[in-house]
Amino acid sequence: MAGIKLENVSKYYGRKMAIDNLSFSCKEGEFFSILGPTGAGKTTILKMIAGIESITSGSIYFNDIKVNELQPHARNVSMAFETYNLYSHFNVYDNIAFPLRAPKWKLKLTKAEEKEKVTEIAKFLGIDVLLDRKPQHLSGGQKQRVALARALVRKPEIYLLDEPIAHLDAKLKFSTQTLLREFAIEYGSTILYVTHDYKEALALSDRMMILRHGKIEQIGTPEEIYYSPETDFAGRLVGEPPMNIIDGELIKDNKNTIFKVGDSFSYRLNKELASKAEKVSEKKGGKNSARMGIRCEDIKISKEKISENSFKLPIYAVVHEAESSIISFELKNTFMHSRISSGNKFKISENIWVDFDPERIFFYEKTMEISKF
Amino acid sequence: MSKKFILKRTIFWILTIIIILVVIGPLIWIYLTAFKSPNDIFTSELSRQFIFTPTLDNFKRLFTQFAFFGSLLNTIIISVASTIIVMIIAVPAAYSFSRWNTGGGHILFVTISTRMFPAVVAALPFFILFRNLGLLDTHIGLILLYMYFNVSFATFLLYGFFRDVPIELEQAALIDGYGRFNIFRKVVLPLVLPGIVTTSVFCLIWSWNEFLYAFLFTRSSAKTMTVLISSFWGSIEIQYGPMAAGAAIGVLPTLIAAWFMQRYIVRGLTFGAVKG
Repeated sequence: MAGIKLENVSKYYGRKMAIDNLSFSCKEGEFFSILGPTGAGKTTILKMIAGIESITSGSIYFNDIKVNELQPHARNVSMAFETYNLYSHFNVYDNIAFPLRAPKWKLKLTKAEEKEKVTEIAKFLGIDVLLDRKPQHLSGGQKQRVALARALVRKPEIYLLDEPIAHLDAKLKFSTQTLLREFAIEYGSTILYVTHDYKEALALSDRMMILRHGKIEQIGTPEEIYYSPETDFAGRLVGEPPMNIIDGELIKDNKNTIFKVGDSFSYRLNKELASKAEKVSEKKGGKNSARMGIRCEDIKISKEKISENSFKLPIYAVVHEAESSIISFELKNTFMHSRISSGNKFKISENIWVDFDPERIFFYEKTMEISKF
Repeated sequence: MSKKFILKRTIFWILTIIIILVVIGPLIWIYLTAFKSPNDIFTSELSRQFIFTPTLDNFKRLFTQFAFFGSLLNTIIISVASTIIVMIIAVPAAYSFSRWNTGGGHILFVTISTRMFPAVVAALPFFILFRNLGLLDTHIGLILLYMYFNVSFATFLLYGFFRDVPIELEQAALIDGYGRFNIFRKVVLPLVLPGIVTTSVFCLIWSWNEFLYAFLFTRSSAKTMTVLISSFWGSIEIQYGPMAAGAAIGVLPTLIAAWFMQRYIVRGLTFGAVKG
């Protein structure tokens, strides 16, 4: 087991920047996830740590030992690739046993020991019936589990898992996720986990990092990431429907500060929120524009007035999901969604009372464009 | 069935028959003539062209009166040896070009460029060189020549095959704890085996059939089968019987290779060259 530390690591492909001066550390035995959209540089980070991708500048440390110059097989990591990368001329058994047979690790297992290890991990992931098959004869989900088994069969310093369950169907995804968590706890291993699915990251990680265009957006525990996203991007990436981002104007009226969107919607900010909003607001053409963020479950709605600060809006749409309903409202340049336990009593176009939980309102600098749909 | 369909079919079959005749015609002629007595060969009766009493006389003469066995052996030694050496050189070279772009493409180009001029252009300088080195009419001389011509071709063909092996597989193996040599042996080689077999067969067939250089560079001790067969076309007479018998034996390995490996070769060629 080892901890990982990246110090000012940059990676350029020609002139194209993939990773920009990245520094973070992952403690020994930690389950650390990297979450980001496609093309954020997640896989590149794993490959640099594995040593199969060179780094342009900066340093990578395993337990304070610099590994920049070490060959991949000298770093003692194992990796599950999103693209599986199974050896097509081997059957599933040989694919999983391949790392165990590597001369580098000097395991020198007998046939029986090898078989025991391979069968154990194959059973763990539910692929023990496939051991005789060639990769060409497996489905995408099966291939992915074989790739995962190959990565987990050995006990290296660090496990690097690149979207290891992305191609599994929903049911299998959930059970494999549970297995992974079980595996992490049982072996206490350091796991660096790459995903674009925020649910996986929230469910599995001890800590997680949000990556955007090769830069860190936020690092924190799943709770911190979900309940206090530091940027609009982090807020939008985590959560379904994504965090409501409302662009509006700050207007000072007597002693109050009002957040106003178009003509139809205005919300009075308390002192604390007003100062937060001021800090990140942008003055442009005599207007003081600000970006508000609030999660859909922090918007309360009711047929009766909720508080002094609540306001009335017509319902645009009601969507019923299995355990809850999403009520949508149309604002000038965006839609606002609220999640409530049951939306049966609300009808489209009905004017109802809406209230924000002031504790759960965030103001952000504008770092991305939000499309209405 | 519409008229258009019948027309299409008719054109298809006419073309197919023409192509088959052009390809198989010479082969039929060779095998018919090889088993004919001289009287049957030179007859003007059309029926006797196809219906005759087969004889093995031509083959007997070939092995007793002419040094056919020796020349066949020469061909086998030279083509097999040159192919083995070519593969020993071309496999690592192609791997290196495909993985590390060794020489930034220049060395690969120089290698391929040896096949960009007509073979005969190099004949004279090679002849002088080989005469001075005492390599004329030796096995080693022809092996070296065939190696020279085939290395470029084999490297180019194999280059495509190696490029089709995803580099990620090698990266996975690196992480799994294998060194470069073991990765090549255990991961890359099994995957390009069809390509290596295809390329070897092509090299083998090329050196087996080669005539020009064999004709110019050998006289007696390293004389190959193709040169011997050509000598039946003398200034006084043409010995059709032994010539056809020799050709019948000479084309046999090529035919067998083509028959058994046609799928393999077509797959190999498209796998290697087209996708690369």
